[in-house]
Amino acid sequence: MSAFAHAGTPSASPFVSVKGLTKTFGGAQALKGVSLSVLPGEAHGLVGANGAGKSTFIRILAGLTQPDGGEILVDGRPLTSNDPHRANELGMSFIHQELAFVASMSVLENIMLGLPKRTRLGFVDWPTIARDVKPIADRVGVTAPLNAGVRGLSTAENWLINITRALVRKARLIVMDEPTAALSTAESVRLFDIIRDLRTSGVSVLYVSHRLDEILELCQRVTVFRDGQSVAELDGAQLTRQGLVEAIVGRSIEQAKKPASLSIGERVVLSARGLSRLPKVKDVAFDLRQGEVLGLGGLVGAGRSELARLLFGADRPDGGRMTLDGKPFAPRSCAEAVAARIGLVPEERRSEGLILSKSVAFNLALANLGALVIAQGLPLISPRRWRATTEKTMRDLMIKASGIDTPVGHLSGGNQQKVVIGRWLQAMPKVLILDEPTRGVDVGSRAEIHRLVRELASKGMAVLVISSEPEELPDLCDRVLIMAEGRIVAELSGEALTRDRVIAASYAEASGFA
Amino acid sequence: MTDLSGSTRRLSPAAKVGLGVFARFATIFGLILMIVVFSILSPEAFPTFSNFINVLNQASLAMIIAGGLTLAVIVGELDLSIGYAASLHGVLVTGLIVQTRLPIAIAIAVVLGLGAAIGVVNGLIVTKLKVNSVIATLGVGTIIVGLSFAYSAGVPIVAGVPESFLQLALGRWLFGIPNPIIIMALVVAGLWVLVERTAIGQEIQAVGGNPAAALLAGVAVDRIKILGFVISGMCAALTGALLASRLGSGTTSAADSYLLTAFAAVFLGSATLRDGEFHVLGTFIGTLIIVFGFNGLNIFGAPTFSQYIFQGAILIVAVGLSSLGRILAES
Repeated sequence: MSAFAHAGTPSASPFVSVKGLTKTFGGAQALKGVSLSVLPGEAHGLVGANGAGKSTFIRILAGLTQPDGGEILVDGRPLTSNDPHRANELGMSFIHQELAFVASMSVLENIMLGLPKRTRLGFVDWPTIARDVKPIADRVGVTAPLNAGVRGLSTAENWLINITRALVRKARLIVMDEPTAALSTAESVRLFDIIRDLRTSGVSVLYVSHRLDEILELCQRVTVFRDGQSVAELDGAQLTRQGLVEAIVGRSIEQAKKPASLSIGERVVLSARGLSRLPKVKDVAFDLRQGEVLGLGGLVGAGRSELARLLFGADRPDGGRMTLDGKPFAPRSCAEAVAARIGLVPEERRSEGLILSKSVAFNLALANLGALVIAQGLPLISPRRWRATTEKTMRDLMIKASGIDTPVGHLSGGNQQKVVIGRWLQAMPKVLILDEPTRGVDVGSRAEIHRLVRELASKGMAVLVISSEPEELPDLCDRVLIMAEGRIVAELSGEALTRDRVIAASYAEASGFA
Repeated sequence: MTDLSGSTRRLSPAAKVGLGVFARFATIFGLILMIVVFSILSPEAFPTFSNFINVLNQASLAMIIAGGLTLAVIVGELDLSIGYAASLHGVLVTGLIVQTRLPIAIAIAVVLGLGAAIGVVNGLIVTKLKVNSVIATLGVGTIIVGLSFAYSAGVPIVAGVPESFLQLALGRWLFGIPNPIIIMALVVAGLWVLVERTAIGQEIQAVGGNPAAALLAGVAVDRIKILGFVISGMCAALTGALLASRLGSGTTSAADSYLLTAFAAVFLGSATLRDGEFHVLGTFIGTLIIVFGFNGLNIFGAPTFSQYIFQGAILIVAVGLSSLGRILAES
């Protein structure tokens, strides 16, 4: 406990209390009056569908965005003006989904970034600072040496460094946005231990996540946002999975069921034999059939995304061969893969999937421009055909946007993901690869995306789904391949395709039992 | 989420919309205001048909080179070689006509081809060697200055320029409109259609917006970037040839100053009608602002130094308005 010098005494009066917060962007009201309070030493959950206002709320709390109305009280005192520096001074720390470090600096330098540093004779006294920081880093479980560079550290390690940074800043509230999205199960368990440890020393955690099981395991109270309002605050006996889902969706929903796979044809569309790119992909062989949804499971770092890059022409294999429709297939660029009618929904939709400043119509059309021309062979695009195609896709996918000209950056995460998928719906490739299609997507959108993928397969598309969520693969796929350390180590289908088997296969092989 | 660069100021939604409108239309208001003020101050010299035609004629060469630069910046790169390249093209086209005795059309075709080749070189250095475009095009531009001196030994080619070549820039066509205006109109229309209404134009915009996403959507990003440089290089060649025709000589460094004019026009344009996004029509309006400004300063007999101050100041204002537009679009 002594490592946390700022241990507070738990009490009933909230550390942070937000009342009636409102915010409008352009014409859209993102927050219509949300209230939330966090008690000292509490793990408080914040859940809600994408677009419910969670991100805006956090940005306001962090001082990155200014509210239009409402009030924020810290220790009972109203916060009249807020900016990132002020938020920090008041003891609020924020760990975002996309972690930001200065890549050229060491672990310690990143931890101390922006903090006043002890000096000796005018020089920064790094040895003394390191001595002060070391116990905190140890307590949190940072294994990288403090003087090591941050380049190449794992996501899990980055999270631990960020938590250390928050504690060095004497944070009393740490806001974590989708912390486990990129962590393995074991790493998540470690994070939960740390959060419990923080609580006992009076530090509060605001835990934002779509993973309801984690919320239930970790949080004492949970606030639910829906459509820019705080619609429920659950605790104690009210805090159940069913209760959360109903509050998030606003109605009770049936568990989406996988339809019988009638669509799988005999014809192999994409096949690989002995495919390698060392050290990440080793001797991979598989057949992907027409109308099939094939899953690719395994732990983060098992080589799945690297395999997808080979299939999509982003990297060249250094061994093995592929065939597409029975003909040799060796794409030298993504453009060649797309020309051969392969589509990819990348893992990072904001940085790799979308052009955020451009409109929904623009982003949807990007892989299908050839079909929008006035006449075959003419390079001119028909605005009328473009509008009609866009509106049809938006209807089919239920993409929520104020118009086809809305910049895609203004959409919620689930709707952004639908735009990336909709792009390929327009182009109708033979093979569609989806990398983590529902990461950071709310329960409702997730079900819609799953339905969409099944629908594409029923139309004869061959689909490859990469997912790190063990629940997702049995829900969605006809057959699942498990990768570990670059190899395919298991194939699951039919009765054998269950969540538990997926997890067991991922871990068994990774720890060398094969 | 990771953009921690600054907090948005506390503005009411109405004020934000108002500021957005201001940012988008500020350049057009500025242009109108300038024309009105000059007209009031100099009612007999400024607001005449012949002066407006004169201004458009002046603007033509700047607009063509700025139009080309617009394509380079839309694909997300800068092209600093265009001014030096235009100078070289002017020297070369004159030399080819006067000394090599090539037919005028062939000579112009040769410089347009060279312009495209310079674009390919710029593009390959940026995309394949991964050299930052500022450095790459500055280096290529400096090499071009050297080539220009090597070709002409720095001596202007004046004697023996045929009348027919001079007619290219000095002649008039339909309704007595000077040829450069007609050429400029064709170039602007062509570039606008290319960027806004063709499939490849959408790919050009995508590459500038997010190259990683464009790549994964199947766009041949490197080829599109090279295309941007090629169009920039060809427009520089056209401006260089027209300038040589207008001046009646091929002079080393004659077109160098077009670089700054083009940059100011392109950035003013990005603040026009759209939030900090580069586009052809915006560049056209940006060019008009700059050339009307010069014209006004000339009519009032402002000293030469004031033109440099005007140009430097307008470049800064242009980039400022452009980033203001982007900030408002994001908040």
